Amino acid sequence: MTAQAIIQSLASGLLMGLLYGLIAVGLALIFGLMDVVNFAHGEFLMIAMYVSFFLFAFFAIDPLLSAPLVAAALFVFGAVVYLLIVRFAMRAKTNAGMVQIFSTFGLAIVMRGLAQFFFTPDYRSVPHSWLGGKTISVAGIFLPEPQLAGALVSILAFAGLYFFIHRTDFGRALEATREDPGAVALVGIDKNRVFALGWGLGAALVGLAGAIMASFFYIYPDVGASFALIAYVTVALGGFGSVFGAFAGGIIVGLVEATTALVLPPSLKSVGIYAVYLLVVFIRPRGLFGSM
Amino acid sequence: MTITRRDVLLGATATAALVPLAARAQTSEVVIGVIYPFSGGSAQQGIDAQKAYETALEVINKDTDFDLPLAKGEGLPGLGGAKVRLVFADHQADPQKGRAEAERLITQEKVSAIIGTYQSAVAVTVSQICERYQIPFVSADNSSPSLHRRGLKYYFRASPHDEMYSAAMFDFFDALKKKGTKIDTLSLFHEDTIFGTDSGNAQAKIAGERGYKIVSDIKYRANSPSLSAEVQQLKSANADVLMPSSYTTDGILLVKTMAELGYKPNAIVAQDAGFSEKALYDAVGDKLEGVISRGTFSLDLAQKRPMVGKINEMFKARSGKDFNDLTSRQFMGLIILADAINRAKSADGEKIRDALAATDIPGEQTIMPWKRVKFDETGQNNDADPVLLQYVGGKFVTIFPPQAAIAEAIWPMK
Repeated sequence: MTAQAIIQSLASGLLMGLLYGLIAVGLALIFGLMDVVNFAHGEFLMIAMYVSFFLFAFFAIDPLLSAPLVAAALFVFGAVVYLLIVRFAMRAKTNAGMVQIFSTFGLAIVMRGLAQFFFTPDYRSVPHSWLGGKTISVAGIFLPEPQLAGALVSILAFAGLYFFIHRTDFGRALEATREDPGAVALVGIDKNRVFALGWGLGAALVGLAGAIMASFFYIYPDVGASFALIAYVTVALGGFGSVFGAFAGGIIVGLVEATTALVLPPSLKSVGIYAVYLLVVFIRPRGLFGSM
Repeated sequence: MTITRRDVLLGATATAALVPLAARAQTSEVVIGVIYPFSGGSAQQGIDAQKAYETALEVINKDTDFDLPLAKGEGLPGLGGAKVRLVFADHQADPQKGRAEAERLITQEKVSAIIGTYQSAVAVTVSQICERYQIPFVSADNSSPSLHRRGLKYYFRASPHDEMYSAAMFDFFDALKKKGTKIDTLSLFHEDTIFGTDSGNAQAKIAGERGYKIVSDIKYRANSPSLSAEVQQLKSANADVLMPSSYTTDGILLVKTMAELGYKPNAIVAQDAGFSEKALYDAVGDKLEGVISRGTFSLDLAQKRPMVGKINEMFKARSGKDFNDLTSRQFMGLIILADAINRAKSADGEKIRDALAATDIPGEQTIMPWKRVKFDETGQNNDADPVLLQYVGGKFVTIFPPQAAIAEAIWPMK
């Protein structure tokens, strides 16, 4: 094993990890806000990839350019999902937790089925994007441009989210609703609007991730599944309810995955992730940055 | 009204005795179960397979003018012109769902035989259920060598398995070496279900026997979100030949990641699967000029056997695609099965089994470059000669073995 191979693995792991972080942040945001796990998170990612793909196929808009459009579309979609489904699921008098799980889980299955029906199960990809297939090589270390762009977008999006939560009125309303949904009603904050905003934001973030990924990953109706599992682990590892934890967790997962594949057979590369996850929940059950 | 196997049997025997030939045409039908992934990650393979089987069904049930078993005349003459009906079931690439669907097809749909399954891992469970109910299972497109070595009596495979394919690859390497090409080191790259594992094992074994050095043997997790660590290892090994055994999704990601990490192998010789899929070439075909994949089918054959081209057109009208290695085998699988049912003159599982065991179809009466279709005692056809195809200028040309080749191999690939 050469030093170059180690650096290359770490670099690849970091780029992938930033993307895992971006995917997980949306999930953590929604969970932190209202204690609801969005089991359709992977399908949100899948829809974003398709939107990006179709914008490319029909209007020749590069995935990098369409990313804000896709994020906006997913924002609306996320808010609508909250208003049409989750809002009602949360009102359940009995077994509220189960009702929430099954409503988003059911949504995931419906979305997958519809995607297969309308888009066919064929594998799509964006063949000629601006950055697609291009690579920067620094001292023998290869950094694929689409992933680099993804990492940059991840960092910007996270910074933007951080600013939004801590510096704007809406962000403060978000935080306040998170702390005490009952009390905010007394000061005139509409809980439903805040929750819808939260869902919209969460979906928009995963939408960004999907758009970026469309330039280097294949697209098919089940594509969300493998990323969603990692996102759940990432959120649990980083700390339930912590947006910062989810982002850091993503980076850790990416790095651990890459280094595991370096020392163990690649078919065992997820073992490292789950081992670290187990270790963290043993020592610190609320996750690395969890506040609950 | 539902027609059971017994009805078909009774109907056929009774009519044979009592009714004049002409009146028998509408007596009955024979039901065959078709198990494929119709949802989930491999759903496209199931949908393509369905089109292949419907094409075969048209050849069997309608009067066509091909030199194939059952092509001329309508339906199965041995069963009084009975028509074949297909019942499709979805196994979602899950061996346990495959097992349940096989059981349902046999007990509720009363199928006379089952054909499938794309994934070898599913073929394992489906064939076990068939064995228990004494219903023949035709493995149309599974290539794992371990499948026919389980002592099953009702298992049949007309197409080659991965050891035969791998042997053909090494025959090809040997031939190139004799002409002075340097091929000493190999990198194996295979997914971690039965297909990739069996393929990797077969290649490692033959490599050892024939004195090739495996410098990296990577078994990877199927449907991984990232393959950069794996490609990194392939790159540092830098073998003379990269030999992947991957389904479509992983194949696309592999090729993309190779380009991103600046790994350009001298040659890629692939074990079909994803590397026979149009979707893969749509996605990354520009990076695959000169890739070699094994196959059982080649459209080149249409030059020698015009019916291959005509049947391909029939399939293309349904699916929008040319026959590939998988769909051609699926087509032939149903023809071979229906031929056996016809000769069995019965819809009974055991009689069909015996008829399958007695199958002897010359290669010219298939759409494949095979010598013949004749099963050994394990249900394997050892006369199914594999071919090697090279992707040149957007299509595949046959380069090996010499008797089937229409072009010289381009080596290194580019």
